[in-house]
Amino acid sequence: MFFRPKVRVEDFEAAAMPHFPDLYRTARSLSQHSSEGEDLVQEVYLEAWKSFHRFEMGTNCRAWLFKILFHRLHHFRRRWAKAAKVEAFEKPEDANGIAAETPVPQEIRDEDILEALGKLPIDFREVVLLADVQEFSYREIAETLKLPLGTVMSRLSRGRKLLRQELAHVAGAYGIRPDNEQARTGDSA
Amino acid sequence: MNVVNFNSQQCERMRRQLDAYLSNELLVETTGEVLRHLETCEACSRELEARTRVRDALRRAVANQVPSDELRRAIQRRVRETRPSFLGGSPRLAWAVALAGLVVVVLGAVAIQQWISVQRGRRVVDGVLALGVADHVQCAIKGHNYPEVANPPEVLRKKLGPQYAGLLEVVQRNLPGFEVLEAHICSIPGSPRKYVHFITRGHATILSVILTRSEGAQLPRAALLRSEASGGVDLYEAHLEGMNAVGFESKGYFGFVVSDLDKSTTLQIAGVLALPLKNALEIGEAAQVLLPVLANSVPHV
Repeated sequence: MFFRPKVRVEDFEAAAMPHFPDLYRTARSLSQHSSEGEDLVQEVYLEAWKSFHRFEMGTNCRAWLFKILFHRLHHFRRRWAKAAKVEAFEKPEDANGIAAETPVPQEIRDEDILEALGKLPIDFREVVLLADVQEFSYREIAETLKLPLGTVMSRLSRGRKLLRQELAHVAGAYGIRPDNEQARTGDSA
Repeated sequence: MNVVNFNSQQCERMRRQLDAYLSNELLVETTGEVLRHLETCEACSRELEARTRVRDALRRAVANQVPSDELRRAIQRRVRETRPSFLGGSPRLAWAVALAGLVVVVLGAVAIQQWISVQRGRRVVDGVLALGVADHVQCAIKGHNYPEVANPPEVLRKKLGPQYAGLLEVVQRNLPGFEVLEAHICSIPGSPRKYVHFITRGHATILSVILTRSEGAQLPRAALLRSEASGGVDLYEAHLEGMNAVGFESKGYFGFVVSDLDKSTTLQIAGVLALPLKNALEIGEAAQVLLPVLANSVPHV
């Protein structure tokens, strides 16, 4: 289409701005510094505005904005430090038994879990954020990240486990005990 | 990582479903199965509770990251300052489209120029070939200036005069299947132009081979019709007044083959005749120039 259809900034703001907090939080959680997250979300909104004529009103604006977010994220990532290699974490689990689950602290502080999240390789972090925080379905995540459904499922499973391990380390450093240790202490009292 | 070998295979199977259960991605039947297991298995129930706790904590912690109003206002300001782009804001795409547009415009301009050039060329060709067609129609068809029985060659040579007499043999030799009935110098009433006109019969029709001086005019290359059978002589064709005419250029002359035969036959005949006629004309022209020089150089005794 060579002739730009009429688009109104008011329509764009009404459709896109309600998702600003969710986009900001996701961008912030996927970048290393607060300023990078802010730059990223600004870029997302500018790109969305420039291509708003292609957006069909009434369809899922939130999913559209998240797709743009992850598209831009790839550009930003080149500027950021290389994320940890994913392949090392994507090994299949032991077939002879299930891994012992990492104990979880009874009280989880915001800063602990955000710190633990920040230590996850970014490919796992993306999927965990989209599934557990933004509550996208597996299929929506696969479309947003352009990944096969099976990869989304395996990354979510491994991402949750890694988050739990990191959380145990972080909480342990602050003297917060995991629940099974607390339970054991309670039993002995 | 420590590995615990559960005795219950069911626990192992259920734990593999817990991630999908937590994301509400299980089928209804599987969800029921997981729920029934959780009711009876304290270990798996605790595991689900731990996973839920981590997820809820993550959700809460991220939700507590509140964007500033300043950032929101900055975004709205930048959006309002930016014109929406019909190319989706991609500079690479914009360049690609601009480049493609430029290529289309240039190619279009070249195509139009070529088309105009060909059209102009066609008009010039039609104008030149109309000379031969007019003479064929006026002299041979309407004027019927040929006998039913062919004139003897010596009569024809005399009518052609010394300058063109030699061409009679060239025409006869290169027109197999055709008989030269008449050859003369003629003109169309009202025009000073002279034509060397060979009227022939063959293929149950009358065919004219005509020569006339080009007087500096040229046939345009844009309307050129190449013929492999012409020995490298450029041929032009036109359909005028119900006749097919094929023309060619020689030094100072236009040559025409005109008949009501179909286009391909006319082209084939002209293709055979063009080169020998061209050569003969050029030799004849040279002789015209040289003869007086030679004559003047002979000493009077």
